[in-house]
Amino acid sequence: MAKILEGPAMKLFNKWGIPVPNYVVIMDPDRLAQLGEANKWLRESKLVVKAHEAIGGRFKLGLVKLGLNLDEAYEAAKEMIGREIGTSVVHQVIVAEMLDHDEEYYLSIAGNRDGSELLLSNKGGVDIEEHWDTVKRLFIPLDETPSLESITEAAHEAGFVGEIAERVAKIASRLILCFEDEDAQSIEINPLVIRKSDMRFAALDAVMNIDWDARFRHADWDFKPVSEIGRSYTEAEQQIMDIDARIKGSVKLVEVPGGDIALLTAGGGASVFYSDAVVARGGCIANYAEYSGDPPDWAVEALTETICRLPHIKHIIVGGAIANFTDVKATFSGIINGFRESKSKGYLENVQIWVRRGGPNENQGLAAMKKLQEEGFDIHVYDRSMPMTDIVDLALNS
Amino acid sequence: MSILANKDTRAVIIGGIAGVNAARRMAQFDFLINRPLTVQAFVYPPEEGQQKEIYRGGELNNVTVYSSLAKALEENPQINTALIYIGASRAYQSAKEALDAKGIKLVTMITEGVPEKDAKRLRKYALECGKIFNGPSSIGIMSAGECRLGVIGGEFKNLKLCNLYRPGSFGVITKSGGLSNEAMWLCAQNGNGITSAVAIGGDSYPGTDFVTYLNMFENDPETKAVVIIGEVGGTLEEEAAEWLGKEIRRIKVIASIGGTCQDVLPQGMKFGHAGAKEGKKGLGSARSKINALREAGAVVPETFGGLSKAIKQVYQELLKSGVIKPEAELDEKLLPALPPSVQEVMKQGDIIVEPLIRTTISDDRGEEPRYVGYAASELCEKGYGIEDVISLLWNKKLPSKEESEIIKRIIMISADHGPAVSGAFGSIIAACAGIDLPQAVSAGMTMIGPRFGGAVTNAGKYFKYGVKEYPNDIPGFLNWMKENVGPVPGIGHRVKSVKNPDKRVKYLVDYVTNQTTLHTPCLDYALQVEKITTAKKDNLILNVDGTIGCILVDLDFPEYSFNGFFVLARTIGMIGHWIDQNNQNSRLIRLYDYLINYAVKEEREVPEKK
Repeated sequence: MAKILEGPAMKLFNKWGIPVPNYVVIMDPDRLAQLGEANKWLRESKLVVKAHEAIGGRFKLGLVKLGLNLDEAYEAAKEMIGREIGTSVVHQVIVAEMLDHDEEYYLSIAGNRDGSELLLSNKGGVDIEEHWDTVKRLFIPLDETPSLESITEAAHEAGFVGEIAERVAKIASRLILCFEDEDAQSIEINPLVIRKSDMRFAALDAVMNIDWDARFRHADWDFKPVSEIGRSYTEAEQQIMDIDARIKGSVKLVEVPGGDIALLTAGGGASVFYSDAVVARGGCIANYAEYSGDPPDWAVEALTETICRLPHIKHIIVGGAIANFTDVKATFSGIINGFRESKSKGYLENVQIWVRRGGPNENQGLAAMKKLQEEGFDIHVYDRSMPMTDIVDLALNS
Repeated sequence: MSILANKDTRAVIIGGIAGVNAARRMAQFDFLINRPLTVQAFVYPPEEGQQKEIYRGGELNNVTVYSSLAKALEENPQINTALIYIGASRAYQSAKEALDAKGIKLVTMITEGVPEKDAKRLRKYALECGKIFNGPSSIGIMSAGECRLGVIGGEFKNLKLCNLYRPGSFGVITKSGGLSNEAMWLCAQNGNGITSAVAIGGDSYPGTDFVTYLNMFENDPETKAVVIIGEVGGTLEEEAAEWLGKEIRRIKVIASIGGTCQDVLPQGMKFGHAGAKEGKKGLGSARSKINALREAGAVVPETFGGLSKAIKQVYQELLKSGVIKPEAELDEKLLPALPPSVQEVMKQGDIIVEPLIRTTISDDRGEEPRYVGYAASELCEKGYGIEDVISLLWNKKLPSKEESEIIKRIIMISADHGPAVSGAFGSIIAACAGIDLPQAVSAGMTMIGPRFGGAVTNAGKYFKYGVKEYPNDIPGFLNWMKENVGPVPGIGHRVKSVKNPDKRVKYLVDYVTNQTTLHTPCLDYALQVEKITTAKKDNLILNVDGTIGCILVDLDFPEYSFNGFFVLARTIGMIGHWIDQNNQNSRLIRLYDYLINYAVKEEREVPEKK
């Protein structure tokens, strides 16, 4: 799932005629004063200022400020920009019009195997979880566009009446278009608000996930998805991602603070099983890592060095299934170089290394790994006859 | 027996180099079980008409690349399976075309990073056509003893270790490609191996699901148990559990589900395959899948490592109940060995190959080239120059400082001789005709021969002969030359004479004799010869070719190298002329009429052809 920030989501909403409040995204508070001169709504409306970053729980962190005038918004923006939250830094804020409204609705759409499902509720906002049972669901088969009548009917069933039902149905039909044409995976608008005096609707908050694999057919996607792991990436993770973008095959890293078992595992399937095995045996992983698709040895070496630098690690699990085409000798030579380099820099002190692997050139790869014992590494090497995740048991029992 | 792929499978691979590599791996399997080549054609428009070399053991096959699937099928109507290896942006169209083809029943897609919607559409379309669309992101399908589709199974050695040369009793269905191989190994190690193994891919919306294949395995009498390897995300494993619990099934199901760690990891921290994402409210969590499968009667060990025991246990039970009859194992030594390449055999020292060429000067097999054993960078480091490299590569030894200085001067003096001489003029004409550097310089180079610049070798050669055979008898030498060779090479000049000496010659002779300690018997001899010839005619002087030739003899360079000095030196000049003409954007030139004497017949009528 590739989540995108509110700004880009709002832009896509605009493109497809889904009503959004007026908004600007800024990196410099001074820009707000200039924008204020150019835009009447900034001077005359109540404003909301939100950190425009992938940071969870923004409200509690004081990164959402409501009901401000332009001067107060300037102060709020100034306060937020540059703030450090854990490993993240606030670089941008979104300043939006806080529409005075009468009611809050819920509107969302998400893909499934056979098409997608539209969800409608006239009880949106923070209480939606309580009213989950009253949400009306409309299944939309793949590549079919439901008629406005059928959506209106669903709106009625969701408790909307009269003109409001018609207008909500219209917005929903545009949401479906946006979902389909932008290769979205899910879009959730909560709340969709209405000011009844002039029947103005606006999507006040939205969470949108797009299919990043489809980017080749979206020339106007000028944004990047935000971190998939619920926080900003650390410097080390970013470095590995940069390498990943440049190579054949892939290398991946997610740091898990507080763990003491480091993973240096191969393959998208096996790596998850290694994490599971650590957790199942009561251990704590220090990271998730994965190399696959026969990556070049230097990329694996870089991944290795990064993992060796993780703080407080006691074990490194160099695990993997029997590879189909990833060359064990070549990838292991990257790992071996990474170990040597790390050791020469003072890492790997009192760290035990556990190896299990099979695949092309496995004998040479495992033999080379085993030779590290002669260089003073505390390393235990097993071949395919050792059940895949059992080295985790050995490590935790040692 | 097997599912999906069998002895009758004939495949087309749609895609470029990755597809060709897969075809090579597949042919190794074909060789192992002695079946005809599985891959019959490639479709890849950029390489239309090419033949790809595919070895089935020692047998070389040429498989044609077509520009379209239609053309491939027209010429190869036996094809019934398509493998999609092409990039994600074209994968949908290619797979749809394959599903549209009448003879193709199975389409399996290896391509990764395919948009979800494309995968969903292909799944739906395949269902409508009553065909199987497997993947995306599938490593392939393996039917032991029958057919391999994709690189599933890894290297040749592994095919044997996993007993894939003959069918066993276990089916395998995995999302992950790497784990399909692991599962096949586990079935061979702890049971009697597999019937078929299918990787359905780890995307969010794979074209098929566990249930599709569970049904096929249920209907395959040879399959007695199925190993499923699933993971967090989606509901395919729950559906498999439902299938299993619904009625009494013939096959046993053993399963392992990845992603239980996500229960304890910080919220929102997800990793693994694209499809490995837990839904809202724990939907699709690994734990819920494990529970569902266990409730339905599947054997689900706590960790992946526990699969070995689980498979062993099921196998023992099936043996005990007589469902599986123990069979004598094949002696693996009877299986064919992959013919090694010449390089591999040579490394082992089992054959001798007569070399095609021999070199005594240069070796590029190490980290950097070595000239007669010396690393090029080390020569640079230690202050050697180009003249030393020339000496190494042409004469296989490092010259002394004095010798180097002489070589350097020979090159410097011969580097150019103005635009009018044959070589430079040839290069200039070519440059003006818009010819590129290497060709233009070789046009000038073509001029080097008996009348232009090519006398160095012969001059050196004959003066050396004189020194040896007529040491104190120059008239005797000249006589011998007259009778056997003709004019003495290295003697005589078109414009220079005793009164108008060649400054280059004067300088070189002076430098070598007065400023170095080089012993110069050949040069001395040539100067003696010059005394006699100039007495006869003023312009029969020792020219620059003769001087250089003699000095090179005295420097102990091999005869064959002498002309090389002129060729090398003059190349510098010719390149200069080419650059100069191009810098000036010179135009095409042709000779003016007045520079040509048209000594031709008068105009006349062409007679009728007889």
